[in-house]
Amino acid sequence: MGLRAIAPGLVALTIWGIVTGVAMSRFGLPEQASIVMSLLVYAGSAQLTALPLIAAGAPLWLIFAAGIIVNLRFIIFGAALHPYFKDLSWGKRLVAGYLAVDIAFVVFMPRFHDAPQKGTLEQHWFFLGAVIPSWFLWQLTSLIGISLGSVVPVSWSIDFAATLALLALMLPLANSRPIVLSILAAAVVAWVAQTLPLRLGLMAAVLVGIMVGMWAERQQAPRGQR
Amino acid sequence: MDTQYLYSAIGLLALCVVICRTSYLVFGHHFPLPPKIRSALRYAPLAAITAIIVPDVLPWSAQLGPQFDLKCLAALAAIGVFLWTRNTLLVIVSGMIVLWSLRGLLMLF
Repeated sequence: MGLRAIAPGLVALTIWGIVTGVAMSRFGLPEQASIVMSLLVYAGSAQLTALPLIAAGAPLWLIFAAGIIVNLRFIIFGAALHPYFKDLSWGKRLVAGYLAVDIAFVVFMPRFHDAPQKGTLEQHWFFLGAVIPSWFLWQLTSLIGISLGSVVPVSWSIDFAATLALLALMLPLANSRPIVLSILAAAVVAWVAQTLPLRLGLMAAVLVGIMVGMWAERQQAPRGQR
Repeated sequence: MDTQYLYSAIGLLALCVVICRTSYLVFGHHFPLPPKIRSALRYAPLAAITAIIVPDVLPWSAQLGPQFDLKCLAALAAIGVFLWTRNTLLVIVSGMIVLWSLRGLLMLF
């Protein structure tokens, strides 16, 4: 059942996996390292964010910080999923959390949001039916991408597809005024500050993005209250 | 590429993923998330992704200042296609097609 629900998501996952695989080989990662990265990290946005940093030889703390920042959304996902898994052993919760990628969350939450009872067997099987195929498909498509990466000519700029994939990830999420303002502010800072050493522009853009977003939210609040 | 650096980076990224994806499910009993932090966390990921996209489409050279890149037009076209169709796959497809077409046109003239 989870498998059927996630089927459209698997198409997106296929493209995303191939793009990430191609990006890994384009940014000069040896094949073996690309495979290890895909197996262990299993997070397209974190991989695509980190690749330009790794290629530029950015310091490890910055790669770690950037990885944490783009993965912060999973803390929110985890908080939302928590009621459904809280009765499982901590080992099972660890595995469930590790496998809880965006697409799984997106099909799981709307379906069980109003479920009177949280943490049923049905919900756990649905979750597994969604996340296990996702994991295998991700690894397969990443492998295809890694092998394509060395075949496709550089002049095709396939790595731009990775940038577009990040864009495709964020556009549906930019659905409120504060979020759009936060993105625009981050974009301006990222544009102006990109020559700063150590890619500090990234950290500056994130800080300004958070501040502008929270400011815009406060501006909106008085009108929202009755 | 330095192997040790590379594998350290991969290990750290895997750690990031484990921390973010599992911390709440494993330790959530002890940490209620205050609404203020919850809302701040909403903005961080999109700002970070923006900061990765922007230097690729709007490069700024330390010597020459801001640079123009066809990728900027391709990205704008892709955003337009998304607003029109709401289809995320078309964002990737249309962006690539626009980039290739513009480059092809430039080569003709």
